[in-house]
Amino acid sequence: MFFLLDEYYPILLLLFVSIGLALIILGASYFLGVQKPDTEKLSVYECGFDPYEDARNKFDVRFYLVAILFVIFDLEAMFLFPWAVSLGQISSMGFWTMIDFLFELGIGFVYVWKMGALEWE
Amino acid sequence: MNFLLSLTAVLPTFDLRELFDINEVMDFALLHQNHFKMILPEVFLATSVLVITLHSSLLATSRHFGFPLLVQNLNKLCLLILVLTILLVQNNSLVCMLTYQNIFIFDSLTLNAKQIILLSSFFCLLISENIILKQQINNFEYFILILCAVLGLMFLVSSYDMISLYLAIEMQSLCLYVLAASKKDSSFSTEAGLKYFILGSFSSALLLFGISILYGCVGTTNFDNFYLFFSELDLETFILGSIVEKALLCVAVAFFFKIAAAPFHMWVPDVYEGSPTSSTIFFAVVPKIALFSIFLRLFQVTLGVFGESFLLVLIFVSISSVLVGSFAALRQKKLKRLLAYSSVSHVGYLLLAFSANSLEGTQSLFFYLVVYMITNFCLWSIVVSLNTSANEEKSKTLADLASISNINPILGFTGVMSIFSLAGVPPLAGFFAKMQIFISALSSSLFFVSLVIILSSVVASFYYIRLIKTMYFEIKKNNPFFLQVNTFCSSTMGLGLLLLFLLFINPGLLYLVTQNMALCLF
Repeated sequence: MFFLLDEYYPILLLLFVSIGLALIILGASYFLGVQKPDTEKLSVYECGFDPYEDARNKFDVRFYLVAILFVIFDLEAMFLFPWAVSLGQISSMGFWTMIDFLFELGIGFVYVWKMGALEWE
Repeated sequence: MNFLLSLTAVLPTFDLRELFDINEVMDFALLHQNHFKMILPEVFLATSVLVITLHSSLLATSRHFGFPLLVQNLNKLCLLILVLTILLVQNNSLVCMLTYQNIFIFDSLTLNAKQIILLSSFFCLLISENIILKQQINNFEYFILILCAVLGLMFLVSSYDMISLYLAIEMQSLCLYVLAASKKDSSFSTEAGLKYFILGSFSSALLLFGISILYGCVGTTNFDNFYLFFSELDLETFILGSIVEKALLCVAVAFFFKIAAAPFHMWVPDVYEGSPTSSTIFFAVVPKIALFSIFLRLFQVTLGVFGESFLLVLIFVSISSVLVGSFAALRQKKLKRLLAYSSVSHVGYLLLAFSANSLEGTQSLFFYLVVYMITNFCLWSIVVSLNTSANEEKSKTLADLASISNINPILGFTGVMSIFSLAGVPPLAGFFAKMQIFISALSSSLFFVSLVIILSSVVASFYYIRLIKTMYFEIKKNNPFFLQVNTFCSSTMGLGLLLLFLLFINPGLLYLVTQNMALCLF
């Protein structure tokens, strides 16, 4: 089984680097920052509404809609970056695949727009 | 400036002009011509989904046309699209091919399975037009989702790689979750969608877990490579054998969940009952053939090595499905729940045919599946046509079947015949299909399992005969008037009934087709 573990070495490295980076960022802001806590600062940040409430309440689904749309169109960017970097190696097949993807995403965008998901009021 | 120059040197050079170089376009076309030929039906279906999305989202929101409801038109349009896709699938000139870096396979199994999927979804839409209107599902998205699910099923049938398999399964099941929840103002429908979603995503996670372990042990996700790996494998020297076995078990459990076999059947009755009837028909009939063909293809590869232990699992699931399906259906009063449990027991029969692990077994599995689909079309169109003006909105119970022989004798006769075919009574195709399964199981010397399943099919025929008793011998004092049966529904019923008789008299064509499908796996 151990012959396979070599391939996971970069992932192990990534794990250590990300833990280290997270510790540095958190620790630096904890030790170097000026701390004057008040109620507003200490309250949990969540978009739009209070996190600790009775669950049987009306809540606005528009936040979720926007969040979902954000995820969809953010993923598009996530696919675009590696595509743009490797454009030299992939053939025209790769190029047109992405164009097709963008085209279909565009149709999805038209759908979202026309159904009124982008309007706040 | 220097820095910028060095940056441009590092970045890969890319000239946009070479993309439009006519020579390369020609090469590209030649290289992908055959691949494209194979995938043309899917491309057509996907393109029409995009066109329908654009068309209906522009039209349904236009003030100029008065915000029209597109349901009826879209239903017809979808029927047309499905017919054209069937023609495209049929027009294939190539016999067998692996395409796109071996992630898709095209052979006569995928060809026939795709035709069956498309035909059955055609009839689904045909039956359910009336109910979609009655249930007031006015969203045009409904049809887009159905077409997407069909597209996912087509990809699923022809996938030849774990990654394309997982993506195709996700595509079809995401569409089915939304179809289950598509009646937004009904809490039952929402509940059904949520239940289906949570349990379905759990099983998908299990599938992904199994695939990742398998990849970790074998180092590939491709079925072709799996085949090469496992055919030369000696279990004595392969140290990861037990881990691979467990990974395959995870994948199999995910499949058992998707085809609704017994220890993993909990979602079936609730989802069938809660979803709007039009969606229930779709996921009662259409996805099974795709799931079974990919399940068989995947496990035929590995059965040579892990046969013993896997067959034990298969036999256990098969027996428990038949037992659960037979005994739990005895207490059901609602028609949709009853049909759900009956589908669980029929999956048990199919798995018995699978565990026979022979050409005859696989062939009888496909034969049974097609006959079961035809019977199901008859039964669901009866469920759909049991409308009186009083109970139109309600979920149908067994009491709604009472004295149907007086009110609408032809409907009653169709019902009785299709129920007899489900139970496996001789002059009908269901008997022939069941007989084939048992013969193939017995020739693989699965005697005990066959005995248990035959005995529990006696229990199952009790509730089938109770249905017939309700239809023919329970006379209501004042007969309700049935609303007129939809023409499409009645013609589907007639066609189904005719096929049930004809396939008993001369099963040659279906036998040939299923033989072709089974031969691809051996």
